Amino acid sequence: MTNTWYLYLFFAAALMGAGILGLLGKRNLIKLFIAIEVIGKGITLILIGTGLAKASLLTAQALAITYIVIEVSLVATALALIINIYRQTKSLDVRGLTKLKG
Amino acid sequence: MILQTSLLIGLVIFSVLAIALKDLLKSAISLALASLLLGIIFFRMKAPYAGVFEISVVAGLITVLFVLTIALTKTGDEVRESKLVNWVFPLVFVAFVVIDALVMKSLLGKVPALPAGAETGTFGDVLWRGRTLDLVGQIAVILAGVFAVLALFRKRDKHD
Repeated sequence: MTNTWYLYLFFAAALMGAGILGLLGKRNLIKLFIAIEVIGKGITLILIGTGLAKASLLTAQALAITYIVIEVSLVATALALIINIYRQTKSLDVRGLTKLKG
Repeated sequence: MILQTSLLIGLVIFSVLAIALKDLLKSAISLALASLLLGIIFFRMKAPYAGVFEISVVAGLITVLFVLTIALTKTGDEVRESKLVNWVFPLVFVAFVVIDALVMKSLLGKVPALPAGAETGTFGDVLWRGRTLDLVGQIAVILAGVFAVLALFRKRDKHD
């Protein structure tokens, strides 16, 4: 693989690492979701980077667009869930979800 | 290449800020700026379609959704984050980046480049003919998202 590909792989890994650390350490539901978004950015970057290295940018772009469309649906659904959780527990603290009530 | 690397460094910085900042609104704006930089990176990588989608959908629409959610859940009741995490997160992240750099250096030139079939046609051909099943899946996912949001915000009956 080309040296440029390793550069994109390095930055994509850094983004995924930051996202995973955020998921492990944060307690705010919206923060957790922002961390998931950051992981998604790393995935999109490595998709296009690999497409560039393999001279198949068109397929890589099609895959990236597919991911972005799925991401929008994911965000809309997850944020709706977060709003509902907030209405139930009056907090965005993820620890509040341990007290499950029927 | 220097400009591209600078943009990538900016992308990582804004992404880390989006996670690390206490204020949710500032976090959402940082995430939007990171998406904007990623879109510019895509344009420079000669991937304009992905860049347009990244800037318009991720930096635009998703940021609006985040800001809307932050506005709907604002009470001044801030979630107490662990103080230990605030100290540990930057240190662990720096250590991770150092390990990442060392691993990439050791991998340099060792990942075999598999032969790739040359792409023919335009982006439209690839998207509409080559990835037709993906498009069907996308439509299904969008519909599922719409129904999920409708189900989550439906008005409750007295019997519920």
